[in-house]
Amino acid sequence: MNQTIQATQQIDPANIAARAESASKIYGSGESEVRALDSVSISFERGKFSAIMGPSGSGKSTLMHCVAGLDSLTSGSVFIGEVDLSQLNDKAITKLRRNKVGFVFQSFNLIPTLSAYENIILPLSLEGESGDDAWIKTVIDTLSLNDRLKHRPSELSGGQQQRVAVARALASRPEIIFADEPTGNLDSKSGTEILKFMRRAVTDLGQTIVMVTHDAVAASYADRIVFLADGKIAGEMTQPTPDKVLDYLKHLGE
Amino acid sequence: MLRLSLKMTLARKGRLVLTSLAIILGTSFLSGTTIFSDTINNTFDQLFTDVFRDVNAYVRSANSVESEFGESRHSPTQIEALETILKVPGVSAAVGDMQSYARVIGKDGKPLGKDQGPPTFGGIASSSSAGLWKVESGRLPVGAKEMMLDRETAENGKFVVGDTVRVNALSGTREFSLVGIANYGDVSSPGGATFALFDQPTASEFLLKPGFVDAILIQGDGSLSDEELAKSIQAALPAEARLETLTGAQITAETTSQIKTVLGFFTTFLKTFSFIALGIGCFVIYNVFSITAAQRQRESALLRAIGANRRQVTIALLVEALIIGILGSVLGFVTGIGLSQALSALLNALGLEIPSSGLTIEPSAIISTVIIGTVITVLSAVLPALRAGRVSPLAAMRDTALDTVNDFRRRIIFSAVLLAGGAYGLVSSMNGAGAKSLGFGAVGLFAGVLFIGPAISRKMAMIIGAPVAKLRGVTGAMAQQNAARNPKRTSRTAAPLLIGVALVTSFTALAASIKGEIRDTYGKSFRGDYALSVDSRGFGGIPTSITDQIDALPEVDKATGIGFVPAKVGDESRYVLVINPKTTEGLYTLEMVEGKQSDLTKDGILIESDKALKKNLSIGSIVDVTLIDGRTLPLKLVGTYKNAFGNYVVSREIFDGSTNSLFDSSVYIKINEGESDEQVRKAISAISTDLGIGKLESRDEFIDTQAAQVNQILALIYGLLFLSIIIAIVGIIITLLLSVFERKREIGLLRAIGMTRAQIRTMIRWESVITSLFGAVTGVVLGITMGIVIVVSLVEKGFSAFKLPITGTITILIIAFVIGVVAAVFPAWRATRTNIISSIASN
Repeated sequence: MNQTIQATQQIDPANIAARAESASKIYGSGESEVRALDSVSISFERGKFSAIMGPSGSGKSTLMHCVAGLDSLTSGSVFIGEVDLSQLNDKAITKLRRNKVGFVFQSFNLIPTLSAYENIILPLSLEGESGDDAWIKTVIDTLSLNDRLKHRPSELSGGQQQRVAVARALASRPEIIFADEPTGNLDSKSGTEILKFMRRAVTDLGQTIVMVTHDAVAASYADRIVFLADGKIAGEMTQPTPDKVLDYLKHLGE
Repeated sequence: MLRLSLKMTLARKGRLVLTSLAIILGTSFLSGTTIFSDTINNTFDQLFTDVFRDVNAYVRSANSVESEFGESRHSPTQIEALETILKVPGVSAAVGDMQSYARVIGKDGKPLGKDQGPPTFGGIASSSSAGLWKVESGRLPVGAKEMMLDRETAENGKFVVGDTVRVNALSGTREFSLVGIANYGDVSSPGGATFALFDQPTASEFLLKPGFVDAILIQGDGSLSDEELAKSIQAALPAEARLETLTGAQITAETTSQIKTVLGFFTTFLKTFSFIALGIGCFVIYNVFSITAAQRQRESALLRAIGANRRQVTIALLVEALIIGILGSVLGFVTGIGLSQALSALLNALGLEIPSSGLTIEPSAIISTVIIGTVITVLSAVLPALRAGRVSPLAAMRDTALDTVNDFRRRIIFSAVLLAGGAYGLVSSMNGAGAKSLGFGAVGLFAGVLFIGPAISRKMAMIIGAPVAKLRGVTGAMAQQNAARNPKRTSRTAAPLLIGVALVTSFTALAASIKGEIRDTYGKSFRGDYALSVDSRGFGGIPTSITDQIDALPEVDKATGIGFVPAKVGDESRYVLVINPKTTEGLYTLEMVEGKQSDLTKDGILIESDKALKKNLSIGSIVDVTLIDGRTLPLKLVGTYKNAFGNYVVSREIFDGSTNSLFDSSVYIKINEGESDEQVRKAISAISTDLGIGKLESRDEFIDTQAAQVNQILALIYGLLFLSIIIAIVGIIITLLLSVFERKREIGLLRAIGMTRAQIRTMIRWESVITSLFGAVTGVVLGITMGIVIVVSLVEKGFSAFKLPITGTITILIIAFVIGVVAAVFPAWRATRTNIISSIASN
């Protein structure tokens, strides 16, 4: 095991989109206790593309679920903007996810009974809003979805489905977008496409994305990579390239 | 393979529970009604075996007429025969028996017993060991001033030995002193009937006719077998007395079978109900298997991928169905026991007290319930199992197919054939082809609608759901889409409600039309101001002496009685209408086709015109009418009429000198001008209703009451609706739960991207309501179509008699809405408990 490296990068507090403070998630108790997250403190900068990497069971998905308000911590706290999620009830957290958070999952991202467009604006519809038309148009244009809007998910390819999912995540112009292995189910061409779109969403549209992945190439699209192992932060890297990431992972595995 | 099936069955407990629930639902009604029928049949068997325990032979008049319900009514028996019988060697005791009309007036001046409840009897109490009654306290009545009561009636009326009791019977109202309380066999009172008991001469004179009893009960001294005893008694009786002798066993069997015939209508009705319930339940079972088979597609495909062949996959599913079928049927049987108890309690609450001697559970009831339940379960699973066998091994790698793209062309063609066949049957029945073609037509139409269901359910759900989508935004739109996404599932889920609603709507339409006809008929024939009426046909009623007394009242201008008596006309046993031609003028007017109503004399008969035509009778023809007392009268046809209840009308004069007592069913009354309503009611009530005879109503009230009799039949039909509602609710709950389970990932995703729990509940509630309304709307359309056809083909006046049941339809739609909301409660709650993480992270 390597020595623990904390994510020490200093971020201006006004520029933090989401953060975790001494976040711990413990399953079971006594002998069978498993620490999925062990007192993790981390911040994600606004307007940046961050990646969380780590081997299976490192706690990267758990960290994302907890920061995104899908799961609760055993101890510690997480913030979306200035809001402490531990202070909110289920309804408030749900509304926060709807308005401040975007999601892209590995698979099954779309509601099969709704058209692509209806899926894109779903978080807005749930709030009873129609959203910012100009912004939604920009998002749809950026993701080249114009001629696919009326299709049902079953009529779309896997890559198109993921693009719709990205569009949905962007539609409400959330504080932060969480992507959980968004390219895990795609062929490399579609995967690359999605990663490029996500990169553009951050660079051109000023969005904030946190992506969980175990793919070095995917992670290299990010501005910064945080490495997790055994529920702890094992290190981080800025301006990554695939080779640098692979090197680091080898080094991490020693 | 068996072990694998068993493991797979037990592995999914939720699925097991839901499937079993569907089967329990279907079979419990079956076992409940079977147990109930067995119990009451057994109770009556025991009761009469008990009652006739000491009766070795039974003598009664051989003159009889069969009534329409299959029971025969016998003429009274002369009591002189008792002397002859007592002299026959082998006879140790003999006693007259009687069950005539007698109503006990309570201490509050109101008659005991209910107007529509069990009968009120008068009978003979005797010290003879052959008698049916056993003195419990006090002593036997002797002479014209004393009487006994059965224990139940005495308790209900708070009568004790020494009280004075007023009793009303055929020959009027009298007061007696209560000298004793008696039990019937070992029970206080059979079937909740009331009994007033007298010594034989008093009973004969007061209740029947001096010198006559209903029958004579005989006890042997043991030296002869019952058969030999009966034979020697029969030989000793004079032939001209026209008496017949039965053994104790024969009369027990006859009485029991008569009761069973009456009960038979009831138990047949219950059986029909339970089979309808089972049929409707089949849809739920089939639906559950179809859904679960689709959900386990991956499981089946995995089996195929590791080398199981199609047959093995199919058989694995069928074996699972067999296991669940047996399990569910056994549980259904147990539930049925409770249901039969509930049925008894319900009937008791309605005042139909059925003496119960515990619970009778015949082995055949268990066997038939389990076999029927298991067979329908396995049959319901056949199609889904075959489909499962056809799954390609590759499907194991794919995600479960959520949207079934269906080609409905073949289905539509087949339904069109069924619908066309049904329509042909219905149209031909409208043109007079009869009930059989009506039945086939209805079945064809039902099958067609059920079969076409999946082809129309998507569109219907979209239409019904449109307002929901508009009102409830995206949540409503998703509910609409969810109700439309599995057309087959939606249509199968809605089927129970569809069937129930269609039946109820068509019968409501029919009932409304019949009510209209009844109003018309009574409105035309009855011209008086008031009517006194009783419900019982044939047994008891308004003694003609009361009718005459009303006629003689100073406030009354004229009163005429109408009676129904069983008689044999030609070779046909029928109730004939008995009128008093001297007083009917202007009070009871038949719509004559030929002849005049006033032509009716004691030698004449009036016949309904169609009936006369059918029998080739014309004015002047002679018709033989046999009365209960055995007299056959050649009556001359003097007129024909139409639009009345009953096909034959005779004059009350033909009963002059008969040994039979004559009752009127209703008395029509015309009052003198200027009499106040209050005054008239008081005068008439004093000699009728105050004595427990009939119900006095104004003309309008009377016509309303007659029309309302149809409501009793409607109540039964509403029972059917209730049944289908229960099955529909359970069916929707099961389907929704399975859908929630199936859409777990979808619900997880929705929760993740910001759907609140309240919104999830709304979504599922509206899906449920749309499904339920789909069933109700389709059912109403089908029901109204059938209602029109039934009315046109069965009701004489044809289509003009059809009345659209508007309030009924609105009520049904509201009920369907409520069903949807109620059924969604639990599944919606389950859906909100969906774990987000585990459902989205399942890859």
